[in-house]
Amino acid sequence: MDDSVKQVLRQIIRRIPSNKLRNTLSKWEHISKKQFQSLEFTQAKSLLCDNLLSLCEENELSMKHVTELEMIYRIEHPAQGSWNVCQLIDPEEEALTVDSLHFKESFKAHLKCLINHVSVKMKKHEDDALWIRIAWGDNFTQPNHLKPTYVVHNLQTPYVFVSGLTMKHRPLLHQALVQSGHYGAVKDVHLSGRCLTALRDLLMRQYKQVFPVKHPKLLEEKTPLPRTPCIEIEDTKHAENRMQMAAEAFGEGILPKLETAVYKLETRFKENEMGREEPFRGVVKFASSNLLESLKYCVSSGMASAPVTPLLSSITQKGRNYFVITDKGPGISNTPGPKI
Amino acid sequence: MSLKPFNKLPELNTANVLLVENEALFQEKLADAIVLLENNVNVKVRLARSLPLPLENAENRPRIDLVAFIVHLNSEQSLLSAEASLKHLDSGYFLGKVCFLVTGARCGTLPYERLTSLKKMAATLNSPLLMAEDKTAEGVNAAAQRVLAVLRVAAGLVPTATGLSLSSLTRCTVAKDPDWQNEDRSHLNQP
Repeated sequence: MDDSVKQVLRQIIRRIPSNKLRNTLSKWEHISKKQFQSLEFTQAKSLLCDNLLSLCEENELSMKHVTELEMIYRIEHPAQGSWNVCQLIDPEEEALTVDSLHFKESFKAHLKCLINHVSVKMKKHEDDALWIRIAWGDNFTQPNHLKPTYVVHNLQTPYVFVSGLTMKHRPLLHQALVQSGHYGAVKDVHLSGRCLTALRDLLMRQYKQVFPVKHPKLLEEKTPLPRTPCIEIEDTKHAENRMQMAAEAFGEGILPKLETAVYKLETRFKENEMGREEPFRGVVKFASSNLLESLKYCVSSGMASAPVTPLLSSITQKGRNYFVITDKGPGISNTPGPKI
Repeated sequence: MSLKPFNKLPELNTANVLLVENEALFQEKLADAIVLLENNVNVKVRLARSLPLPLENAENRPRIDLVAFIVHLNSEQSLLSAEASLKHLDSGYFLGKVCFLVTGARCGTLPYERLTSLKKMAATLNSPLLMAEDKTAEGVNAAAQRVLAVLRVAAGLVPTATGLSLSSLTRCTVAKDPDWQNEDRSHLNQP
């Protein structure tokens, strides 16, 4: 084991919280059961790390094995850092039949063609998602394992979730994905958030949706009646209406967890009396620990006007949370803006 | 159609209060407290977010003896909504059958102009302005007691007192002095 491997292992151990260390290490197959039992999880992390390093030295583990530990932790706890989503478009005929083994090999080969020093590691998660860890180097330096990029792709779906990707490496990754997945191009979905499963649920519509119906359910089923007959609520019908509209726009039950929604304005003043030619620029950002839940509450409680504006409802309908609003029309333009 | 105070016959031993609150955060707690507190007369509470009230309930809605507007000072919308609702109230109500309930007045970070404009509004309408605390159980109880006291008079359950005579004593007034906010305006506003 050389120094760089040791440094990477130390860094990985430092990032894993103490209470999750035991669980993560037990899933790592490169130390034997006996060695695992010899580790004291009650002692300080630095001491534990030294002991672990000596075990790794004993087993002659290399960078490949050490980075696997990080992958195990990251797969178990995906809600770290921000995930961006891109969509593969224009599928070729083979795209539907590509299998994971073939994809793995061709992805690695394509990426290695594009850049000399790159380290790619893949692991298939239980729910059929393919996790890819990429450590980038450039022509003269070794791959940097301290700042890896994580890519999650469910084969046979067009969506790819990316975390920790720099601008410099973006075209390389996109090209490798397009070629190995047999697609025509890739485009940004403009959706980002911390919770990976929420993004996937939102895009693949795996949350409880409500559709407009002519005869909505009786209100009694949804809201409990007041306890005493002395209290009466006047506008039950309106409340029912509002709740129905909120549910239609944002779904029902547990909503996918999004953190932000950003609206970028690039509009001009209607009356050009001021002689202003340049557009009025502004950014409106909504942030919350669970944005969709908050927006839904705003609508159902009557704080926001009841037919939800298309600006808010298109977060779920279009599956994106970054919008650029320009003057062309009242709707939302699809022009790709810079990523925030 | 505006709400009228005398177009229906009163029921025996009954007082009806309408709580109007845009956010529907405080009214349920307050309604529970009001119903629990009063044992002698039959108190009925109706909850609404804003006026005008829906037409379909007009038939079986009893005569409303008191309309209480709940305004949260932490939201501008709350004040605007109360202002808009006032237009749908018959002028007969302003003879002692309207009161304002303000929450959050203790918080120093809120813009003072909201309370000022609310006070001016209450003063021009000759209505009392009650300060309330909505976060604690004691605060809700105290607010319920105050509303009940006004309601009993407004519903004609207290002999020798009428809503008009009470409101002439308890109405909110705004002094012309620049630091009028330090002055004592009504005995109901005192803690």
